[in-house]
Parts: sequence; C-alpha cells; structure tokens
Amino acid sequence: MAGIWILAEWRDQALELLGIGRQLADKMGVSLSVMIGDTPEGAKVFIAHGADEAILLPALPEGQSPDAFIPLIAEEAGRTEPDLILIPATYRGKELAARLAVRLKTGLCSSCTAITFDEESKSVLMDRLAYGGAALQRVSCSTRPVMATIPPRTFEPAPEFAGREGKVRELAAPAHSAVKILEKRARTREIKDITESPVVVCAGRGVEKKEDLSLVRELAEVLGGEVAGTRPVTEELHWLPEELCIGLSGISVKPDLYIGLGVSGQIQHVTGISRSKVIAAVNKDEHAPIFGAADLGIVGNLYDVVPKLIEALKKTP
Amino acid sequence: MPTLIACFKWVIDEAYIRRGSDGKLDLSAVDYKIGEYDRNAIEEAARLRDAGGGGSVIGITVGTTEAAKGVKDGLSRGMDRAFFIADPDFRDLEPARTAAILAEVIQSRIPQYDLITCGEGSSDLYAQQVGPRLAELLGIPCVAFVQKITLGDGKIVAERKVEEGTEVVSAPTPALVTVLPDINTPRIPGVKDTLMAGKKPVTTITKRDLPSMPEARLKTVDMKAARMERSCEKFGTDPGEIKKFIDALVRKGVIR
Repeated sequence: MAGIWILAEWRDQALELLGIGRQLADKMGVSLSVMIGDTPEGAKVFIAHGADEAILLPALPEGQSPDAFIPLIAEEAGRTEPDLILIPATYRGKELAARLAVRLKTGLCSSCTAITFDEESKSVLMDRLAYGGAALQRVSCSTRPVMATIPPRTFEPAPEFAGREGKVRELAAPAHSAVKILEKRARTREIKDITESPVVVCAGRGVEKKEDLSLVRELAEVLGGEVAGTRPVTEELHWLPEELCIGLSGISVKPDLYIGLGVSGQIQHVTGISRSKVIAAVNKDEHAPIFGAADLGIVGNLYDVVPKLIEALKKTP
Repeated sequence: MPTLIACFKWVIDEAYIRRGSDGKLDLSAVDYKIGEYDRNAIEEAARLRDAGGGGSVIGITVGTTEAAKGVKDGLSRGMDRAFFIADPDFRDLEPARTAAILAEVIQSRIPQYDLITCGEGSSDLYAQQVGPRLAELLGIPCVAFVQKITLGDGKIVAERKVEEGTEVVSAPTPALVTVLPDINTPRIPGVKDTLMAGKKPVTTITKRDLPSMPEARLKTVDMKAARMERSCEKFGTDPGEIKKFIDALVRKGVIR
C-alpha cells in the first residue's frame, strides 16, 4: 500500500507532521502512516489526529542506539513502497534520514520549510534555505520514495478528528547496532524555551565581557522579554547556553520584537530572526549587515545606548 | 598510529552573496572558502593524529577544478596528503552523489583507515547528509553531531548531541563522525604552514578515473535570493532620537 510515512521519535513531533501529512495525503489520494516507538494507546492518539495506520517500533534494550532501527525501517519501506517519508529534522532524525535514503536509493531534501504537491506535474515540491539562508532553494525528487526532514515547529500540530479509525501494527525487534550508548546526560538545567517569547533581546559580539550581559538582561526585563545570543556568544565563548543560540544551526525565533545588541548580522543569524514582526538593532558600525535586515536601528555604542533605552522605557507609560 | 580521513568542501563564502534586482542570486562578487564546519573536521583529525603519537590525516574533497585552492588551504590546516576528486561537472552536486563519489574513492584507494571526520554540514547547502550517507555506503558505524571524541584500542568513544542533552557512545573502528563547531578551535594557518602545504602530496582523480557517475535524484527547480531586506529607519543616540525610536516601537504595537 503506497502512501505517506511519518517517522518520528516523540509524540509532539509526530502530531506536527501529521498536520501537513494529512493535507498532502488528501491531495495525493494516498494513506497516511505514522511509524514511532509508542504504546497501543499512543497509536490511538495518532489515528485520532489523522493517521490511517500506526506502525509501532519496539522498545530498544538499554544501551542500544536508535540507528538499530535503520535496517528494519528500510526493509518495511521496501515492502510497502511509500511515496513520501517525512522525518523531523532533529539530531537523530537528520542522521537516520540520510542513512535510510542510502538504503532506499533515493534523494532527501534536508530541513524543508515548505512542502507542496503539484497536481499538474504530480510531483512533491520542497523548499529549503541554502547559503546560510541567503537563498531559497526549491527541489523535486525523481526517485521514490521522496524523503524530507522538517524542522520542529515548522507546521501546526494536527487537529483531532472525531470517530476516526485506523490500523495498528507492531514491528519485530531489530538486530543490534554497532554503536553502544554508554551514558546519557540530560541537560543540567532546564533552559527556558524562548521560541514563543514576545520579545527577544539578543547579545552579539559587540558585548565586550560576560559581565556586561547584565545590561542585555536588564533591557530584556524592562521589555518583558528573554535573552538570547549569537553563535560567537553562545557556542564559542559559552557566555550563554548553546540552547539560546539563534541562527541556522541553532534556534529560530519569531517574536513581536527582536532587538540585537552589538549583533553584526551574519546571514545565518538573520535567517533565525527573519520571521520576527519587528527587528531592531543597536550597533556602532553603521555598515553592519544587521541594519539591512532591521526595521529600526540605532547607530551607536550599545554601552551608551542601552542604559538610555532602559531609562526611557521605564518612563514610558 | 591512526590513519584519519578528513572530508571537506570548498564553498562559496555566503557573506558575499547579493540579491540581484531580479530576485536572483548575485554571485558575481563571491569568494570561496573551506566550509566553516569542515575546518573543525580537519582540525579534529589533526588533533587525534597528534594524540595518537603520529599517523596521518588524509584530506579528501569532491569539487570543480577551481577547488585546487581549497586543497592547498586544507593542507595548510593540518592535513598530510590529499585526494582531490575534480571535474568541471562537479559543481553543485547533490549530497547523494558527493557521498557516492567519496565512498568509491575511499574504497578503491584507501585500504586501511581508523576514522573519517566530516563537518556537521557544508556551509553552502547545509543538507547535513554527506557524512551519514558516506558511513552507510561504506557500511561503517556513524556517530553524528559529536562534541568530543577519543580514539584507541580499536574503538572510538564520542559524546554526541541529542535533543535531550548528550549521549556518550562507543563504536568499533573504522567509523565515521560528524563534528559540531564547539569540538575545537580550528587553527589559523601561518606563513610556514602555507609554504609546507605546497610540498605535500596531492592525488588528483578525475571523472574518467571513476567507474561510473551516480545518478542525480534531486532537481533544483528554483533558486532565488531569500527576501529579507527590511527598510531600516535609523536613529541617533541623543535623548530625542531615543524617544523617537521608542515611539516607533509603540506605534508598531510591539511594546506595551
């Protein structure tokens, strides 16, 4: 039975892909299956949210790496010949998708931001960013299945439908992977999810010392927002946790207001803020690329400007 | 003593890409570079070689003939020798084809190796596929998004990033890792490194030397400049200007 497959690790990812998956399945006139490690109760949730079938992956023994599933999934895909496979663009999802594409001898579109079915050409069209976000690339795939990874939060989760029914089946346990998990380390502290924050104040390399982040925090506080950082400030200098790194390789934000303080505006960073309603920037270099991406800008030293902004904002009723 | 293979790509420096008036990409003034993440892959291979008390780092790249500059650049960044798979047709290859060409050359010309290092993605297409695809084609273990790695006793122990945090994993060698930027700080080549690079051996392989070319699967239907220019209204720093800036924010309804 040909159709669309969603291959996910967690329930919320599966629900997001079920939203777009259901739309595409209806247009293409095919069935929608979700393949995931979950319980029979979980399977009912997916069916209620638009899946025609739930294929459950068995729990792996302690220490087994999830890439053990690759041969099993490839075998199943070889048997049922899906037209399209959607996978979340998470760390594990991206690796699994690329390796599965080799086994299925097909192309893979990475980190799709939009996916449509063109009825005239009967082909799936996938959009993605290239050159650090400077370009929008649209691709199609000449082999089957068409495969795409989709970043979390790209699509709205599927709504629940009343009275839906579907099939549930379970796959057998896979052979062991050569990769063994010796230890799992959860993140030491819970990092606040800033992707839904209405205001984001971002520290760039124009902030000279780690202690000076207090200035950034103070402005964020006055505005009722959250603090984030560019790649140098997070991943290179580690002044802020990596989870607060805005950019192509980090998180994307879409607040009402983004303010970059001493942010130069490299294309990869701008890509991560481009969905903001209003982009504002403070930078002493009037030629900084950030001003090309901003709605409002103050050309000045952030150490002079930010205290003035804080003071003025406190006076604003 | 370990033999390491570092994969890298000579890419357009995206900082020079402009948006043409027709909405197309303007590549007329671009410069090229070794992809940012690939510099970490080369550096990590060099670090593991030195930690293993010798051995060698073999760099390998697929590209157009102009990428010769990139090969020399890579040799100045810690590689000992290089395989340069070059052809005018190797421009904008999709990840599946790049991985297939790399796999063919590694299988036929590098009989023994311990570890392949790749960047987490290329700086241009950033599809993040070539590393995992290459491992799968070679039939060796793959550990992706690695932040720390040790090599010895016929295995690697690596810390990889996952959504929930990190995992420490082991895998038998030969294996392949893709590395994240925080794994190391790539060296900046000095004059001596650049001079030495010119003396290191490079094996050039052309399309004719390959048994076949992998077929294209993905087709780029359209490539246009992303629309992200906004009309920036600029303000000064005196109190009157600061007030105008805040008034503008209020008018746009983004602060209350």
